[in-house]
Amino acid sequence: MEACKQQQALIPSYLDGELSEAQAAPLRKHLLACQDCRNQAQGEKSLKVWFQAEGPVVVPDGFAARIARRAFDGDTGEPAAPMPVREETPILRFVLAATSVAAAVLLILAVTLRSSDLPSSDRLRADSDSPQQLEEVLRELDRVNAVAESEARRK
Amino acid sequence: MGTPMMEPAQAEDSQLVQETLAGNRMSFQLLVERYESRLFSLARHYTRNPVDAEDIVQEAFLKAFRRLDSFDGRSSFYTWIYRIAVNTVLDVMKRRGRSPVQSAPDPELVGEARPVSCPAPDAELHTQEVSEITHRVLGELPEIFRTALVLREFEELSYQAIADQLGISIGTVESRLFRARAKFKQKLLSLYPEFGGA
Repeated sequence: MEACKQQQALIPSYLDGELSEAQAAPLRKHLLACQDCRNQAQGEKSLKVWFQAEGPVVVPDGFAARIARRAFDGDTGEPAAPMPVREETPILRFVLAATSVAAAVLLILAVTLRSSDLPSSDRLRADSDSPQQLEEVLRELDRVNAVAESEARRK
Repeated sequence: MGTPMMEPAQAEDSQLVQETLAGNRMSFQLLVERYESRLFSLARHYTRNPVDAEDIVQEAFLKAFRRLDSFDGRSSFYTWIYRIAVNTVLDVMKRRGRSPVQSAPDPELVGEARPVSCPAPDAELHTQEVSEITHRVLGELPEIFRTALVLREFEELSYQAIADQLGISIGTVESRLFRARAKFKQKLLSLYPEFGGA
């Protein structure tokens, strides 16, 4: 029905309280008489229940004082601009590659030199000389010296 | 010629703005205290994360402070700061990849919205559950429709106030709301078919 179509278009504004009394009065009269339009109005009202008020708003403690301080300290509140992306030129690529190769060569060289400096004898290892072993070596040296001296004297 | 009459609260706001511009930090703090709840209320309809909501409100107030000298008192301070907050929310949503509120096709140009009947939430559902469902559905809507519903249904702004905030005509507000409600019902029933009833 044309009358229903016209009145139904007004239902949302009516429920939002946006109609003047001159517009609302005929709609109210129509709703009393028309079951279909009343059903539609009921459906629109049901939708509003999904938007019911939530709990009280929680504002963090000291928020206003913090904002005022930041504002007067010159904080603009603008999100940080993203870092500019530096374009990688062929020269920059070459320098980066050369630096990586040089670093690798230096590392290999350092490891090689370090290992060649280490003592190679299996009897003279710095980390295996306990005080007791050292005394034995000294005693052996004394004994060898004493033998050598006595032989020298005999000659 | 006299100066236009102002509501007492509006006159106090104008006084606080002048004092802030003169360098009084406490006056700005008082302005923030007056409107922080309303801005937090707006922000929580766009993000359920309290830290994100705080970031949005903070950004809005700092933006307002920077532009304070452009506040000419023609509208109330609340209308002015609220508009900044709405724009800040929409900027943040845009930065997060949401479609901007003005870029979606005008509701009047995209065909007639299909009427869908929508039941009220079950009586057993708690307020918190209803709120979670509503915000999930809202989050699925194009920004243009979410903002219309948030401003009307949660913030209870009049059509004229919504038109002022978004810079659109009252006719556009009406048709946008009509379409937003239809979209909300469709999305609600597609995400939660159990509410479809018999």
